[in-house]
Amino acid sequence: MKRDPVVILVVAMVVSLMLVFAINLVRHAPRKASAIQLNGQAPDFTLQALDGSSIRLSDFRGKVVVLNFWATWCEPCKVEMPWFVELQKQYGPSGLQFLGVAMDDASPKEIAGFAHDMGVNYPILLGQEAVGDAYGGVQFLPETFYINRDGKLVDRAFGLKGRGEIEDHVKKVLGLTGVAKN
Amino acid sequence: MSCYERAFRRWVLVRLLPRAASARLIMMNRLALTVLWSAALLTPCVAQELAVKKGPTVTMAPAPLTTVTRGKSNSVELQFRVAAGFHINSNQPAERYLIPTAVKLDPPTDLVVGKTTYPPGKESSFAFAPDEKLSVYTGDFAVTVQVRPLASVLPGKYEIRGKLRYQACDNAQCYPAKTLPLQFEVKVVKAPVPPAKNPPQSPHEHR
Repeated sequence: MKRDPVVILVVAMVVSLMLVFAINLVRHAPRKASAIQLNGQAPDFTLQALDGSSIRLSDFRGKVVVLNFWATWCEPCKVEMPWFVELQKQYGPSGLQFLGVAMDDASPKEIAGFAHDMGVNYPILLGQEAVGDAYGGVQFLPETFYINRDGKLVDRAFGLKGRGEIEDHVKKVLGLTGVAKN
Repeated sequence: MSCYERAFRRWVLVRLLPRAASARLIMMNRLALTVLWSAALLTPCVAQELAVKKGPTVTMAPAPLTTVTRGKSNSVELQFRVAAGFHINSNQPAERYLIPTAVKLDPPTDLVVGKTTYPPGKESSFAFAPDEKLSVYTGDFAVTVQVRPLASVLPGKYEIRGKLRYQACDNAQCYPAKTLPLQFEVKVVKAPVPPAKNPPQSPHEHR
């Protein structure tokens, strides 16, 4: 079959444009949180806590960790914090540990003041971009990751969720599904 | 099912159409058809991807050329639009931890930028905190800046650049603060000559 050179030229142009576009998209698109594999090992990190100590995620192996990325300027994050405080009190004895990662430009002193005002009873870590990248880029806040006792990432929540939904996630990862709420 | 998966399925369906139905198509270049079909099916996916990537935006309407008088303070209004579904903090947010919307201008040497006037924020409650009122901008809002060309500046067009810093949220999540580059022009003119008072009627001034 004889091929029309005009058609071949158009096809070549379309293919070239698509290739350039795709390469550009892949190069510049930030990694998405959806790219993080559930049931894979949660990316480990070491971050400085507000009290100056270094906290490593893998040190909490054996506990269920709820890793919450937040910032002082994020109102929905602020809404969740009192719930986290309550859930930490309620399920801490069952092996639950909340960790807050502040993705903030504010000074550690301001972050500490905010956390104090909110009555936070779990460690607040000073976030770094590399840690955010490891968890998919953290393009908006809040983002919450649920890590089981083996250090596997088993669930995640983007944006503000209701208290009931958060508690359901916690109970599921703790293996307490079916336990009546207090 | 992702957009790409749906596109792939449609593509497979097209490829598996009975040959009788595609007899006319066979006359054409198969490679061309494949590529063009792929492009047609993937275009919506790419557009969707780009829309997600774009995120919340504030845009500035092209500012009309404002005439400003040399040696005097003149108002220049800058019009902004917050994308639908998002809000940004006003210049006076309800809480000190929130990031205020702010304009910062970097004028040429002979122009002085004075007071910047922001509109009052709209007191709004959102689904994430129904009992709390936040001071926000949504939709269109205008910021007025005072521009005063020095008395010595040459008349003509001058470009003023700057930036708008804002931090946007929707009903469930917040995005890191962003900076929107600003650019507008002003036309500097000489102060109008005041109308002459009644000239003396005689060459001799009477006091």
